[in-house]
Parts: sequence; C-alpha cells; structure tokens
Amino acid sequence: MPLVVIGLSHHSSPVTVRERFAFAEGTIPEALQKLRGTGIATEAVILSTCNRVEIYAASDLPEKQAMAELRQFLLDHHHYADPLGGEIYAYGEQQTLEHLFRVACGLDSMVLGETEILGQLKRAYETALACQHTGGRLNKAFQKAFNVAKQIRSQTGIQRGSVSVGSVAVELARKIFSSLREHQVMIIGAGETGEKTARALLSRGAHSIIVSNRSHERAVELARELEGRAIRFEEWAAEFPRIDILISSTAAPHYVLDRARLEPMMKTRRNRPLLLIDIAVPRDIDPDVNFLENVYLYNIDDLQAIAEDTLQQRREEMARCEAIIREKARGLFFAPGAGAIGVKTNYSGLGKASA
Amino acid sequence: MLTDRHYFLLAVVLYGLSAIYSVFLWRKGFRTHDRVNYGLLLAGFILHFKAMLMRGLTFDRCPVNNLYEAMMFVDWTIVAAYLVIGLLPRLRYLGAFASPVIFAIGVFALMPSLDIPYGSKPQFGNGLVSLHAALTLLSYGAFGLSSVAAAMYLTQEHDLKFHKLRAVFSLMPPIDRLEKITSRLLWAGFILLTAGLAFIPFLLKEHPEPSAASDPKAIWSALVWCLYLGLLVMHSRFSQSGRKFAWGAVGTFAFVLLTFWGVNLLSPAHRF
Repeated sequence: MPLVVIGLSHHSSPVTVRERFAFAEGTIPEALQKLRGTGIATEAVILSTCNRVEIYAASDLPEKQAMAELRQFLLDHHHYADPLGGEIYAYGEQQTLEHLFRVACGLDSMVLGETEILGQLKRAYETALACQHTGGRLNKAFQKAFNVAKQIRSQTGIQRGSVSVGSVAVELARKIFSSLREHQVMIIGAGETGEKTARALLSRGAHSIIVSNRSHERAVELARELEGRAIRFEEWAAEFPRIDILISSTAAPHYVLDRARLEPMMKTRRNRPLLLIDIAVPRDIDPDVNFLENVYLYNIDDLQAIAEDTLQQRREEMARCEAIIREKARGLFFAPGAGAIGVKTNYSGLGKASA
Repeated sequence: MLTDRHYFLLAVVLYGLSAIYSVFLWRKGFRTHDRVNYGLLLAGFILHFKAMLMRGLTFDRCPVNNLYEAMMFVDWTIVAAYLVIGLLPRLRYLGAFASPVIFAIGVFALMPSLDIPYGSKPQFGNGLVSLHAALTLLSYGAFGLSSVAAAMYLTQEHDLKFHKLRAVFSLMPPIDRLEKITSRLLWAGFILLTAGLAFIPFLLKEHPEPSAASDPKAIWSALVWCLYLGLLVMHSRFSQSGRKFAWGAVGTFAFVLLTFWGVNLLSPAHRF
C-alpha cells in the first residue's frame, strides 16, 4: 500500500495557478470523502495553505497509477482544464515521507524554517483524523513528521532567530527588556512596516501602543486597530518619558529626533533603556543618538541585515536537517526491495523527473 | 588518603575545565545551552564543599583562618550563589562568565605560601572572629558574582550598541535583568559586608591593639565599603546608567581582588 503525495507549492507554481487548486477549509472533509469514494485512496489528508495544496494518500493501487489518478482527481475536483507544465508534482513513498518531514520542519516553506506551517499541517491532519480518513499508514507518517519537526527544532538552528523586520525588532526588544508587558511602545508615522512591527511587539506582550501621525485621523484609525491610543503629532515628545520602544516611520525629509532633542529627554526618563527602531527612508532619527547611554538605535538596514544573516545561518543548517530527515524517513516503513521507493513524478510529462 | 587540599585541587581542575568550555561558548557566540558548564561547576562545588567540610571539622571551626581558607571561602560563595541563580535557565550563562573568575581565585588559593600551618596546638580567635571573617568573605563572594553579572551586561550592551549579530543570537539574558541581578547581588554583598564590619568594635574590645585607625586592612575595608555604598547610591538615587554601574561593579571587585592579599600582608591583625 504505497504512500504518495501530489500537489503544488510556491516552488512549482505561481499563485494564479495555486489559487485555482486551493481547498476552502470547510470543504476539505467533503473532498476527502469524495476522494476515498473514488477508491484511489484508502487514507488521505489534504493540506491547503496560501503557499501549497497537497494531498497525502495511502492507496491500494500501484504507485504510478495512484499518482496519475490523484492528479486527475485534483484537476476534476477543481474543474481545471487549462494546460499545465511542471506545476503539479508527485512523489513516491520514500520521497513522500521526506517531503512531509521537510514541510513539517519549514524546510520547504517560502521563509525557510518558519513554524506556521507545522500548525497548518497539524490542523490538516486533525481534520482528516476527525472524519476518519486516516489509518495506520498516514497516522504513523504524520505523528513521525511532528516528532521530527520537534527534534529538528531542538537540535538544529533552522528555526533560530528572526527573518522579518518586525520579528527582528521583537528579538532586539527582548534582549533589552526582560518582559515586554511592562513596556510602552510608540509609533510615529502610521506606515505599513511600522504597523507590522507594532503588531509583532503586541503579539509578544507589549504593554500598549501609542500612535502619533501627522494625519490624526489615520493615527486614530490605527490606534483603534491596535487597541492603543492616538495622540497628535505635536504631542509625541510630551509622552516620551513613558516610552521604552519607539518605532519611527514618518515621511519627514529631515530628522524627527536628533541628539540635541533626545539628550534632555533621556534625563527625564531617568536613564531607562530606550530602543529606537527607525524604519523610515529617509531616516527619522539622527544616527548620533546611538552614542547616548542606554539608547539602542536600529535603522531599516540594520534590521534587514540581521534578518538576512539569520536566513543565511538557517541555510547553513539545511544539511543537518536533511540528514536527520533522511534517517527518520528511512527508519519508517522501510521495506527492502520495495520498487516504489524513490519514485518522483512531475506531470509536465509522466515519468520525467523534476528538480 | 585524599586531604582537603586534594579535594579542593580537584574542584579547581573542574572549574578550569568549565573556564575552557566557556571559551568554547564564547567562540560559538553563546548560542549553545550552558548545561555543561553548570554541571562542571556543580561537580566542582561538591568537591569544594567536601574540602571545606573536612578542614572545618578537623579544627572544629569555620575554615576562614588563613589566606588559603579565606580565598577558598570566597570562591565557594561565588559558586554557591551561581548554582542557585543558574537554576533559572536564562541566567545560566552567568557560569560562562563566572568560571574564569572562580578558576583564577581557586588557583590563587592553592599557592602553597597561603596555607600556613597552624601547628600542633592552633590558637584560634573566638566565635566572633569567625563570624566577622565569614560574613565579610561571603560579601566578597556576592561582590564577585555581581561583577560577573556586570561583565555579562557590558558584553551584551556592547553587542546591542554596535549591532553585533551575537546580540540577537546569543542565549544571554536581557540587559535590564542583568542590571537588576548586579544591583541585587551588590546590595546583598553590601549588607553582608556591613554586618561583618559591625563586629569590629566588639573585636577591638577583646584585642585593642592595633587600633582600627592604624590597621591597613581596616582602612581598606572602610574604603571598599564606601566604594560600594557610592556605587549603590549613584545607581538607585541618581539613575546612573547601567553601563557606568556595571563598570563600577567590575572595577571595584577587580580592586578588591588585586589588593586583598597585599593588604592582609600589611595588616598585623589580619596576617594569617
């Protein structure tokens, strides 16, 4: 009974194709029922996220036939009749396991090592399990995938560090403040990156957000979204003594905050540490303020450099992760002489191997 | 048959291994968990404690009667305090900074000239002397560990200020927590030192010569007390920056370490 996977991901297809194959969450149990009704699969799990649509299945059919019929099911279910190149991939047993483990660990994700996919995979599995569409083979494979993801997380650095501006800002804040719960955040300028950074800080427990913007209406709107407080742009300096983290992203052509202005403010703050995140271009904060004691200034380039270095370090961990995955996949369901092992098909033409 | 010095030597060897492992952690950017260091220091502490217990039971006294015992006691205090603080995983990295100091003090204590034999009929002072010595030495242990936390603060602060990748990747605690630990350990050390020095008038009643005013160790102790008081007042009352405070903690303990032996040699009342 081979285990196969068929699907599309951000590696193989653009969003314009992926969106046509996506399964709405509520329709997955019905699709699983339909798939099992066709007799192609005895067990099945459907994973549908913004970056991938995959069907994991255990089938009584020979491996190649199972893959071909699953592909046809996918096309028919979504009424897809346009020509396809190499968008849909399919893997045989051994590669299905390795692929599943890679997906669970975030190695196949757009942002290498991201953890959101593990939650999505768990939800997909639980949906299938709840509707009794899984059995011994898929249960074992998925449970193992979750264990491997846990092991890789603890034994390698693939998920270490942050790879977005917002999460790097959170990491920095956590290296300065023991708990964000007691610290106040202020955003000057209601830009998108500033908003994302503020949301990241809030999600990690930041006390509350004060929003200040030249357009007060926009500040009020954003403050409402973030459950914070809006203040007029002229008033932000008055709030400064209570602030511990400042995110600045105004469109001002000159510095909003310079050393001469900040130095007396630091005295009123009784020298508490201050994290300044300047994500504006041109910059809002004079780089000289970093020479003041207890002031830590990071601009957009600094944050992006940290994110890029983190990604680089994650890439360097890939070989270790792949070795663990290969070993774990080999250990599960290894059947000597099973001819199906290692079959990988790309439907740009049946049997033609793809990268 | 192993003597107390042998046990202490073995403990110092373990502290040395921990110091070597700390260099490895530093080279790795403090990204690996510090369990090995904690284990080495714990094993060393057990042997260290055994050495102190053997010596204490032999003479039925708190082992603080010569410079070897004094240094051993200070070292023991630092390790003990670290082992308690290191129970919190995020503070375990103190061990990486503490072990070189612990090892250095241990090696210094093992110098043969410091362990002067008492003779066949040793004459120890009364219990007040032991209490005075134990409290002041405990305070130096607390100051020692506070200087370690301060060194950690300075490293982390420097990495954050100069945008070093290690600031984000290392498993070291946040700087505000390190500042709090430094401050609390300094307060603990200061209270212990004050308590230890408070016995001096009672000791002087029993041994009026030499007078405290002319004894170099008494003057030195008063200076150390004033330095730490100044440091704590500047930090708590005048919002001195964390960086200056950390430098103060490191500098003052370096002064204590570098002058402790010499001052004891100069002091007739403290010449072991």
